[in-house]
Amino acid sequence: MAKPKLLKEVLKNLFSKPATIQYPREPTPVEPDFRGRHYADLRKCIGCSLCAIECPAKAITMTKIPPQYAEKVKKNPRKIYPVVNYLKCIFCYRCVTVCPTQAYTTTNEYKLASFGKITSEELSLKTLAE
Amino acid sequence: MTVSKIVEIPIVAEIPVGPQHPAIHEPIMLKIYVEGEEVVKVEINTGYNHRGIEKLCEKNSFYKDIFIVSRVCGICNTVHGDCYVRAVEQILDIDPPRRAKYLRTLAMELERIHSHMIINAIMAEIIGYDTLFMLIMRDREMVMKAKEILTGGRVLADYMMVGGVRRDIDEVKRDKILSILDKIEPRVKYYMKLFEEDVTIEKRLRGIGRIKPDEVLKFSLVGPTARGSSIKTDARVEDKYDAYDEVPFNVIVRDEGDSWARMMVRWEETIESINMSRYILNHLPKDGNPVPDERRLPRRFPPGESFTRAEAPRGELTYYIKSDGKPNPYRVKIRTPSFNNIINSGFVYLGHTLADVPVILTSFDPCISCMERVIVIDLKNQTKKIVPFKYISLGRV
Amino acid sequence: MSEERKEVEVPEELEFAKEYIEKSYLMKPNRIVIEIKPEKIREFLTQLSKTLEDRGKKFYLSTIAGTDLIDKNVIQLDYHLIILPPGQGIVVRTYLPRDNPRIDSILDLIPGAFSGECETYDLLGIVFEGNKYLKRGFFVPIDITEKNIFPLRKDSGV
Repeated sequence: MAKPKLLKEVLKNLFSKPATIQYPREPTPVEPDFRGRHYADLRKCIGCSLCAIECPAKAITMTKIPPQYAEKVKKNPRKIYPVVNYLKCIFCYRCVTVCPTQAYTTTNEYKLASFGKITSEELSLKTLAE
Repeated sequence: MTVSKIVEIPIVAEIPVGPQHPAIHEPIMLKIYVEGEEVVKVEINTGYNHRGIEKLCEKNSFYKDIFIVSRVCGICNTVHGDCYVRAVEQILDIDPPRRAKYLRTLAMELERIHSHMIINAIMAEIIGYDTLFMLIMRDREMVMKAKEILTGGRVLADYMMVGGVRRDIDEVKRDKILSILDKIEPRVKYYMKLFEEDVTIEKRLRGIGRIKPDEVLKFSLVGPTARGSSIKTDARVEDKYDAYDEVPFNVIVRDEGDSWARMMVRWEETIESINMSRYILNHLPKDGNPVPDERRLPRRFPPGESFTRAEAPRGELTYYIKSDGKPNPYRVKIRTPSFNNIINSGFVYLGHTLADVPVILTSFDPCISCMERVIVIDLKNQTKKIVPFKYISLGRV
Repeated sequence: MSEERKEVEVPEELEFAKEYIEKSYLMKPNRIVIEIKPEKIREFLTQLSKTLEDRGKKFYLSTIAGTDLIDKNVIQLDYHLIILPPGQGIVVRTYLPRDNPRIDSILDLIPGAFSGECETYDLLGIVFEGNKYLKRGFFVPIDITEKNIFPLRKDSGV
């Protein structure tokens, strides 16, 4: 019986460090421009709804700005802002590239598993809070 | 009572290698009729994975369809996007700059490398060689990292847009991808030598599933299946789309025609792809911005039709688009390579034993979600008609 | 708006078929389209394979595509062929009446048409006579085949 050729490789791997990364105890290396969580910056948004029209997955809904922030947005005549539903989003970034004022902030956050519905509502409203 | 006829029915057992089975990795049903250990007849049943993409494309605009069409298949998503975008550009008469063509070719070649590595790993797993499966998958992670540096996503690279690509590449990223390619090349050469010389692989793969050259043309088999049986056909050479008229490469053809030849064609194509990617990265032209401004793309589409082909890792992919002046397309017809390779190939299994069926099916590179995309609603299982033997003996079948 | 189509001359390999070609024009990028009556498709394909064999070339059937043109009340059926070695694409196009689309099957000449014919029957309702493997549940799920709808027609309501 012939000796299998893989024997040398197997013996070498027996004494070296395993290649698995013990996620979630260690973080996996991710590029800084990976397509992760994105949200609208309300200081630049003008409420044109182009992102909601162009989304292929229909994941963006336009909702009214709550009344306590209504004076802070002067550029937004209809007083609506986009809310991204992350459970429907496919992260294609069509909304980011088609926005006329480039109002979306992008991050490389990918840990988005959750039990309930997660949206970008708090992140967008926090940009107005300061 | 005199007996006028005696009908003898040999024991032909029907074995459904059904949609959920540990031997094959895809939701397809092969009804195999077996006499002893030898396969006598094969029926292929499909329809477990419909998603209705052709009808869905008629309800959305041309630009949204780029993202919908990329999700036909997870492994060959850049090629679907590229073929669709080229068909739309033919209708609009737009020619993208040369730098954009080179970047598109780079994304498609990186995808070809990781797709060939995964099908060889699956073949190793099916014949029982789990160690080799794990080693190939560990090296494939480096290629996924290179794709993430280039496009922004590991598997789904939404990289194609009408008029160019969506991201540009600078010097730092280019050097990172070149160093990854330098690390991959000796590993791929080691695996290729292993497939040529190892005893286990030779006994399981050589002589299984032999196809003659004129059968390949009559049954319209495409891709490495055809190139492993001495038919020289490659859509990159025939159509010369994107940057393939300026990047030098060879078309790999093998003469044996069995499963071993098909896997060796894929390893040699991987080496060719690594050389092509290196050539592209060292010779990127600098004429113009490859990223079009997505806010200024045309909204009106003239009526017309076009037919484009591309060379996916599994074979030849064709798109036919017809538009009639509205912002939605009138008809989008997609024909993926797995469609021809799997459904038309019921004749290859005859005469082999039952244990060879997964080996032959995997050597065709099945990608079932590529294969069925025609009308939506929800996933439902087909009903099977199982006829017990007593009906055959009573003559009621 | 009607499309502009450039009329082209038939290439020399297809000179034998001049008697039943009605129109020929160009589809982008550089594929030649030939329009034929539906009854002559089998003759055309047998003569094409014989002519190409004399010159040492081969061909294969790449795609069968059907489109529902509801305004003109016809169904358009395309056979896309690729001729090796140069890789030139040819499209053979016929029009079938919409209320009774029947055409002869080419399964005995080219067994590779099995998948294309079964899919086109299941989705558009074109009956290929002579193909005994046609069945309704090939791709389409059961709740639509029960209502006897062909999904890709424009008036199907899906």
